[in-house]
Amino acid sequence: MNLLIKNGFVYDPINEINGEIMDIAIRNDKIVESVPERTSKIIDASGLTVFPGGVDIHTHIAGGEVNTGRLVRPEDHEKDFVRKTAITRSGVGYSIPSTFTTGYRYSRMGYTTVMNPSMACLEAKHTHEELNDIPMLDKATYPLLGDWWLVLENIAKGDLEACARYVAWMLEITKGYAIKIVNPGGLESWGFGRNVHSIDDQVPNFGITPREIMCGLAKVNKMLNLPHTIHLHTNNLGIPGNYATTLETMKCLESIPSDGKPVVHITHLQFSSFAGEDWGSFRSGAGEIAKYINNHDHVTFDMGQIVFTDTTTMTADGPFEYTLYQLSGHKWVNTDIETETSGGIIPFHYKRKNPVNAIQWSIGLELALMTKNPWKVFMTTDHPNAGPFTAYPKILAWLASKKARMATFKRLHKKAQKKSLLPSIDRELSLYDIAIVTRSGQAKALDLKEKGHLGVGADADVAIFNLNPEEVDIANKYKTFRRAFSNAAYTIKAGKVLVKDGEILQQSDGKTIWLDLQTSKEIEISEEIKRKFREYWTVEYENYPVSDHYIKHSSPLTIKADV
Amino acid sequence: MIVLTPFKKSQYPIIAQCINPDVFQEKSKEEIGNLPVWIGNKKRRLVDLFKVEKNSANSTSITINGDVTQVRRIGWGMTQGEIVVNGNVGMHLGKKMSGGKIVVNGNAEGWAGSEMKGGLIEIKGDAGDYLGSPYRGSTVGMRKGKIVVDGNVGSDAAVFMKSGTIRIRGNAGPFIGFRMTGGVIHIEKNAGTRLGACMIGGKIVVSGRLENIMPTFAIERLKGKVKIEPGDKAVGPFYVFLGDLAENGRGKLFVSKEKNPQLSQYERFL
Amino acid sequence: MSKIDAVTCPVCGCLCDDIELTIADGVVAQVKNGCAMCEAKFFSHNNDHRLKTPLIRKDGKLVPSTYDKAIRKSAEILAKANYPILYGWSSTDCEAQRVGVELAEEVGGVLDNTAVVCHGPSILSVQEVGIPTCTLGQIRHRADLLIYWGCNPWSAHPRHLERYTAFTEGRFKGSEWKSYINKVKAAAGRKKLRSLERIGVLKHKPEQVAPTVSDNKPPAILNKKGRKLIVVDVRKSMTAEMADYFLQVKPGKDYELIQAMRALVRDQELDVEEVAGVPVEYLQQLVDAMISCQFGIIFFGMGLTQSPSKFRNIDVAISLIRDLNMRTKFAIMPMRGHFNVTGANTVFTWQSGYPYAVDFSLGYPRYNPGETTVVDVLLRQESDAGLVIASDPASNFPRKAVEHLVKKPLIVIDPHMNATSLVGDVVLPSEIVGIEKEGTAYRMDHVPLPLKKVVDPPKGLLSDEEILRRILKEVRKIKSKKLEAA
Repeated sequence: MNLLIKNGFVYDPINEINGEIMDIAIRNDKIVESVPERTSKIIDASGLTVFPGGVDIHTHIAGGEVNTGRLVRPEDHEKDFVRKTAITRSGVGYSIPSTFTTGYRYSRMGYTTVMNPSMACLEAKHTHEELNDIPMLDKATYPLLGDWWLVLENIAKGDLEACARYVAWMLEITKGYAIKIVNPGGLESWGFGRNVHSIDDQVPNFGITPREIMCGLAKVNKMLNLPHTIHLHTNNLGIPGNYATTLETMKCLESIPSDGKPVVHITHLQFSSFAGEDWGSFRSGAGEIAKYINNHDHVTFDMGQIVFTDTTTMTADGPFEYTLYQLSGHKWVNTDIETETSGGIIPFHYKRKNPVNAIQWSIGLELALMTKNPWKVFMTTDHPNAGPFTAYPKILAWLASKKARMATFKRLHKKAQKKSLLPSIDRELSLYDIAIVTRSGQAKALDLKEKGHLGVGADADVAIFNLNPEEVDIANKYKTFRRAFSNAAYTIKAGKVLVKDGEILQQSDGKTIWLDLQTSKEIEISEEIKRKFREYWTVEYENYPVSDHYIKHSSPLTIKADV
Repeated sequence: MIVLTPFKKSQYPIIAQCINPDVFQEKSKEEIGNLPVWIGNKKRRLVDLFKVEKNSANSTSITINGDVTQVRRIGWGMTQGEIVVNGNVGMHLGKKMSGGKIVVNGNAEGWAGSEMKGGLIEIKGDAGDYLGSPYRGSTVGMRKGKIVVDGNVGSDAAVFMKSGTIRIRGNAGPFIGFRMTGGVIHIEKNAGTRLGACMIGGKIVVSGRLENIMPTFAIERLKGKVKIEPGDKAVGPFYVFLGDLAENGRGKLFVSKEKNPQLSQYERFL
Repeated sequence: MSKIDAVTCPVCGCLCDDIELTIADGVVAQVKNGCAMCEAKFFSHNNDHRLKTPLIRKDGKLVPSTYDKAIRKSAEILAKANYPILYGWSSTDCEAQRVGVELAEEVGGVLDNTAVVCHGPSILSVQEVGIPTCTLGQIRHRADLLIYWGCNPWSAHPRHLERYTAFTEGRFKGSEWKSYINKVKAAAGRKKLRSLERIGVLKHKPEQVAPTVSDNKPPAILNKKGRKLIVVDVRKSMTAEMADYFLQVKPGKDYELIQAMRALVRDQELDVEEVAGVPVEYLQQLVDAMISCQFGIIFFGMGLTQSPSKFRNIDVAISLIRDLNMRTKFAIMPMRGHFNVTGANTVFTWQSGYPYAVDFSLGYPRYNPGETTVVDVLLRQESDAGLVIASDPASNFPRKAVEHLVKKPLIVIDPHMNATSLVGDVVLPSEIVGIEKEGTAYRMDHVPLPLKKVVDPPKGLLSDEEILRRILKEVRKIKSKKLEAA
């Protein structure tokens, strides 16, 4: 089927198109040079803003941890429910929506591709089963590899080659997309209730440091030619003064050879940019971090922007969640996964009048606005950790409008207002910048070549918003802008019109993207490894992999590795 | 005043959130009759299940004549006005209400006054479980207001209670005042087991018998009278216990000395 | 004759996946590695009592019919119902459960699984206080203090000890199997003697008076290094025979006991000398052992969830674990019964947000145990139709609930005839999941495992998933016809 989107204001930063009035032609599920107008379905986009479909680099939407989060929060669902319609399934929200609702809500905001950033390998089947039940979106997921015993042992031995082969094997059998590292060394230590407190602390029983794990896996990432960099949740996350750890972390990865490309993606950087000695003297470390990132090109990051609301925090960083539990006394879930990782969940209410939360809010925006190059910054809330993804339009307004920021700023705790750098920041992101931080930059960082742009050959994923950039100054009329980005005029995915004026027109399954890694030498599964498997895990080797039937619409990306 | 009379007793649960003075306000009889209700999995109008009558012009009170045990969510979130039920009433009566008054001349099912924020509920008969307690997983208990039950009360009343008053003229089941942090509960007859378990603050007064006291409560003193509300005191003497120690709590249990000779062993600590 | 390795056993929540089967002539001929329950299950597919055709009740009698007719009839019952219940789900695969949620949503019914009569209370307390837990391998590698509370894995989860806990060899913690062997032998010997006495070979000696709890002082071993096994129960089970310490608690007094332990963990002084029949002094020693371990775990069973005060028992047990984590590392885990009850909770949760007792009657998921579980609905006699799959409520629900279930039209889907199918109005036989059909199940610690198809099902039989799909399709057909007519 052909589709022609006519006369929209097109923003396509990868192809350096900045608000030109253009037509976008679609044949089946791809963007093409042109289609015959007579036989095509026409969408009149005159006076509307046309973006590539949104890409989210980091959002917890599926898997064991997310689902346990759903399970422990009936009171969160009770207040936000969705009735079944003739087209769509029913569901519940708010901070951790059920699978179908997740898909619908993303699609309504013009998103078409999302990355689930935290998958325990042992429970990978669960993640994929849930991804199958999230319609409207293309998806991929990152396995947690930073505290996996076979990684720790091989890096400690200095055998990166072997480590790389194990990582390749794991990425493939879990159908993963990138190497996720969470509090390296800390999660293994948490197995006995301890943690690491600097990148040079020894990990108990393994004779290795977080620095070695990060550098080792960054090199492995390179050896395997993975499309994305290592995806890193830093040590000491969520602890006052941790910006120093974050700086050291970035410094220790400077030396990884990179051909000018990024080496590390630091995720939800807001939580890793805290200065001060304790919660009392808590302040922003965003200035120092942004300064470093402005001078170095090996780092990209996403914001992890705080939204003032009742949400649910969930991360593989078990010790951090325990700290939150001690602070809040709220219900606390901890799940340690044998030989691999851990995880924790705490419901959390971010409040404007709480000085720490208010400063956190400021940190996220400071980071994004003080980093000069928008291609290094991606807008996320680390859904649902700093807030549900449905708050994205609000955050975009804060980024694009000083007026919007200051409206919220005025209502913050006074102490936070005094400490914030925001009043001195005048930068306002343009629609072009917004397109970068919400899709193009993210697609580029993930090296998803057919996503995040509208050039010929790209996937026909398009978001059209009811916003006339010639008439509306988004910095001034931020509410109009926010409304437009809350409910897309059209969301088109793989050439199908899924959403019109914020209403779901049809339900459509997305693809699951995973890496089909071609190593020069296949990893040998010797009896030795099978024996080790039995020792390390409580499941049989044969039952561990995610077999093909666990993926409804499989979309493997073939990568040739150097090992 | 609106008078509702159910046509018959329903087998299926009826969800009728609309029976609420705030919703009925300034609506005509026809408009009220057209309000949506659910019976089982079918959507109906109020007028399909009730005879709707309106007398006198602009009073915000609602009277229900008849048994509405299966009708749930009556007075959900009401802020003012009055509901009188002449008969038994279903679950979630006056849930999240913040003002106004509900009188039940009969029994109430579970979750009456759940997550209540203000107002008054009077139940002339018995009340079910979870009286004034929050929804599953929520820690937001009763925050204000008053509940009076003339009959007996089931289990788990006043869970996570923060403030307000609950008066139980009859007996109470187990786990009353579980995890409460404030407010006052007066049980005029006998109390069930695990009274005040995990409480951190607030007070529970038992004028009748308390079979077992949790081992994690410590006796503090004897007291002659205890204040329930301004101008209302319960007369003792009472043993005063402090707990729950498992939560480092400072909640107070007042247990009648006269009705509970089995607790005299605690006197040696005084 | 062929051999199949690494088969997952579809019986209990242990979900052992190391079963080796020998298949001869399309029949399971030999089962290796499995326990007695596992063997029985794998041999059951070839059972003579296997139902092979659908049945429909006519004039009070169940008579053979076809799938088409039975499915049509089922769809009519469900499409017409004002408040149907859809119950069971714990002994089928996640694939069928997914269709089940969709069907429940389509017919506006109450969807519930067997958790309601076993670990539903545990879930309620997890929703109030959370749960610090882990996967089973974590225990194998790290745990040095194992506590089984109100459960008897020796008979209900026979391989739990050998695969995951006391008898396993972990990276940081060694197996204690040698010391247990003697205890097992001694216990078995005692049993033998008793049975000899019963049949009169030996002269009956008066039973030794069981030691009262106050005689049962915690042994010194609790303070030593290495793995320790503690059992807490109201009576001495076989697992307790092997334990380093057996703590007998007065029936129904678990709550007080654990709450007192919590106060002791917080260094509070108690005004009482004993709690639940246990001297506070002993309790203090037990608490000290818990605090000084490196990694402790409590496994709890129905002894805790189904005794008086139910979910508050779990609430307090989890709270104890939360407190203990201030001093050391401790975890807690429910001993789930049916092999895929965890899967049912998991699937229900990702699709609807709630793990069991999901009421779709308003067109969206609603959850409130006490109001929306199938047992609540049946006891209040509210439902007007029922579908039961992979479960036998007629033999384990309260009598009043069963009476109402039987009174209304009832659809039963199960591989075998059971008490519930005997009273059903439409009975649909199905393939045995994990033997005749592949699928997915979740272990008690939420680890998903593949179930294998090892033999062909009897000819013409459909799977749970397929039957549900067809019912769903029929229901939609009936509904759209009705819409057209209107």
